[in-house]
Amino acid sequence: MSVNPAFEAARPAPQAVLGGRSLRFREWLEREAVFSWIMLTPPLLFLVAFLGYPFLYGVYLGFVNRQVAQASIFVGLGNFDKLWNDPIFWQAVWNTFKFTGAATVLKLAGGLGMALVMHQNFRLKGVTRAVLLLPFIVPTVLSTVAWQWIFDPGMGLINRVLVFSGLVTQGPSWLGNPTLAMVSVILVNTWRGLPFFGITILAGLQTIPTELMETATIDGAGSWGRFRYVTLPLLMPVIFIVTTFSIIFTFFDFQLVYVLTGGGPANATHLMATYAYSISMGGGQLGLGSAAALAMVPVLGIVLLLMSSYVRRA
Amino acid sequence: MVRTRPEESTSRRDFLKVAAVGAAGATVGAGWRPRKAGAKPAQITFLRESSYVKEFDEHFTKVLIPAYQKETGIKLNYEIVAAGGSVVPRLVSIVESKAPVDAAWVQQEWLYREALLDVSDIAEEIGKQQGGWYPEIKNLSVWEGKWKSVPFGNIGQTMVYRRDWFDQAGFTSFPDTWEQFLEAGTKLKKAGHPFGMSMGHGYADNNSWLLPLLWSHGGEVVAKDGKTIHLDSNETARAVDYARKLYKDACLDDCVGWLDIHNNKAFLTSQISCTNNAASILISAKRDLPDMGKVIDHALNPKGAKGRFHSLVPVTHGVFKHTPDPEAAKHFLRWLMDAKQVANWYRSAQMYHAPFLHAYDKDPEWDKEPRFRADLKVLETGRLVNWPAPADHKAGEVVSKWVVIDMFAKACTGAPTKQVIAEAVTALRQIYG
Repeated sequence: MSVNPAFEAARPAPQAVLGGRSLRFREWLEREAVFSWIMLTPPLLFLVAFLGYPFLYGVYLGFVNRQVAQASIFVGLGNFDKLWNDPIFWQAVWNTFKFTGAATVLKLAGGLGMALVMHQNFRLKGVTRAVLLLPFIVPTVLSTVAWQWIFDPGMGLINRVLVFSGLVTQGPSWLGNPTLAMVSVILVNTWRGLPFFGITILAGLQTIPTELMETATIDGAGSWGRFRYVTLPLLMPVIFIVTTFSIIFTFFDFQLVYVLTGGGPANATHLMATYAYSISMGGGQLGLGSAAALAMVPVLGIVLLLMSSYVRRA
Repeated sequence: MVRTRPEESTSRRDFLKVAAVGAAGATVGAGWRPRKAGAKPAQITFLRESSYVKEFDEHFTKVLIPAYQKETGIKLNYEIVAAGGSVVPRLVSIVESKAPVDAAWVQQEWLYREALLDVSDIAEEIGKQQGGWYPEIKNLSVWEGKWKSVPFGNIGQTMVYRRDWFDQAGFTSFPDTWEQFLEAGTKLKKAGHPFGMSMGHGYADNNSWLLPLLWSHGGEVVAKDGKTIHLDSNETARAVDYARKLYKDACLDDCVGWLDIHNNKAFLTSQISCTNNAASILISAKRDLPDMGKVIDHALNPKGAKGRFHSLVPVTHGVFKHTPDPEAAKHFLRWLMDAKQVANWYRSAQMYHAPFLHAYDKDPEWDKEPRFRADLKVLETGRLVNWPAPADHKAGEVVSKWVVIDMFAKACTGAPTKQVIAEAVTALRQIYG
């Protein structure tokens, strides 16, 4: 059978075949499902390497007796049992709850107030908003060192103001008194976290239609009535989300306490995170330290459950 | 409709290529590959904590590194970690990740001794060459009969005080006993110049007076066997009662929560007349506040019924087992600790790191700043923080949990003596089982 010369001429040259394969590969690569996975893989690998692996390794360490430079010995729940009977651990747990609870309430109240003020029209509003973000922008270690000076008993800003105003003859010891030390770390955490609440709630406020406010005003609602029955209910989803995130960040706070008090005096400000660090990096007990850190996870789990159930209901 | 191939498709591929190459590069770069046997090492990495004395670091970088490189042809990388508590976490992470560091200044080596090479040959040779080692340091560096580190020097922790204010209060010499110390503190506090004795979660300035206070009253935390808890005793109770009284009558309230930096700050701003510290206060004052620098003095810790004690803050040097070329790293350490090199290195810091070698006991450098002479005496009366128990990881846990420090701090903030001792003993049982 002879081949039609026209067909023969139409047959692609070997190089053109390769070009076709390359074209098919390109088309395959351009498919949404393929390309999206290719783009997703690097960040996923990053997350697995820098979050997933350390977390799983931490879980593993929680169940072994592992000292620095020594082999692991499986101890099951031995580390958790040790922590259960450790009074310092329980003090750190109690401190963490006090710290998180007080700081979150203060940040919520202050952040709401900040957002309501920022929502008004006044001169230099843009500059004020930018300045209020500063505590959130400045690195924690840096701002905490500044707070060390602010809390200084003799040279510190707070005590100087107290003495010059004639309120006291000698200012209190902010970081030396166990109760005041806890108050101090809560204050600094609140100062640092306020902008997060303020800006997020402000964003929520700006989504509330002005018509609703006008309607409420026509119906006779005063400022408080408009806030109580219009603003607050509409802000609730934002407040819930921002509070949940804040609880997580505050619960795991480490830098602030580590720099300001080191967990002292006499463990009065030791948090679960700082205690876990002391055990692991100071005492070399990587297994026990990991167990102390892991003990924070169930709390995070409960918070996430609450958050997801609320979002589902909403 | 035929889809055109936009230019961006090339960019995507380029991006993928770059990402793949980058990832591969990072993977290879992160690897710590052993050198081929017999190959001459190209470089050695040595890690140290930065010194408060600028000249000490400068001597290393400007004199020792060029000299070693010239002599051996090996490049010497010098990694400096900021002073003030960050070196131990860095060392722990080096050991755990087997990071490319060959030798280092090691501190709290009880945490990772198993990761250090046997350097007995170097330590014994250097000891023989330079008058022998002070005995207490052997309790740290020698483990199961082998030297795991080569001692370097002790950062002397002494009483640092304002001689002018002490003179004004009628104390022309520093109090010799703890009772006289309390008397002076009470008087000076009334005159507006309280003491500031650190009792917070620091690393040195708290242990450096509270442990000697306990020991000089006859108390001890754990017995020599490293198992028996000895803290609950009348001697401990007396030391706790003393600390409470000293805090109430002689100290600034704030000091119960101080970290290592706080007493420097308080002293240099004239808020306190006495604290326990290394030479950093004097060095800073001489540099930045020369008038104050003239009236600062150093003195030994007061003595108690059982004598005078100090707490050592030792610096030693070790070689990591994971180094690809142990002989090269050991060669460097032997060279560094040889009298030809180390003598001038010690002197460059005016003996800030008091040598654990007797050859330097009468070194003329001590005469240049006589106030550092107290550091030399500390070598005689100094004990490791775990004394008399072995310097093992359990002792390290006691330190890292501030068990003894918090016992005193709790008493000073109002808890009864019996209770604070009982709580400390409970914490010790957690550690010692």
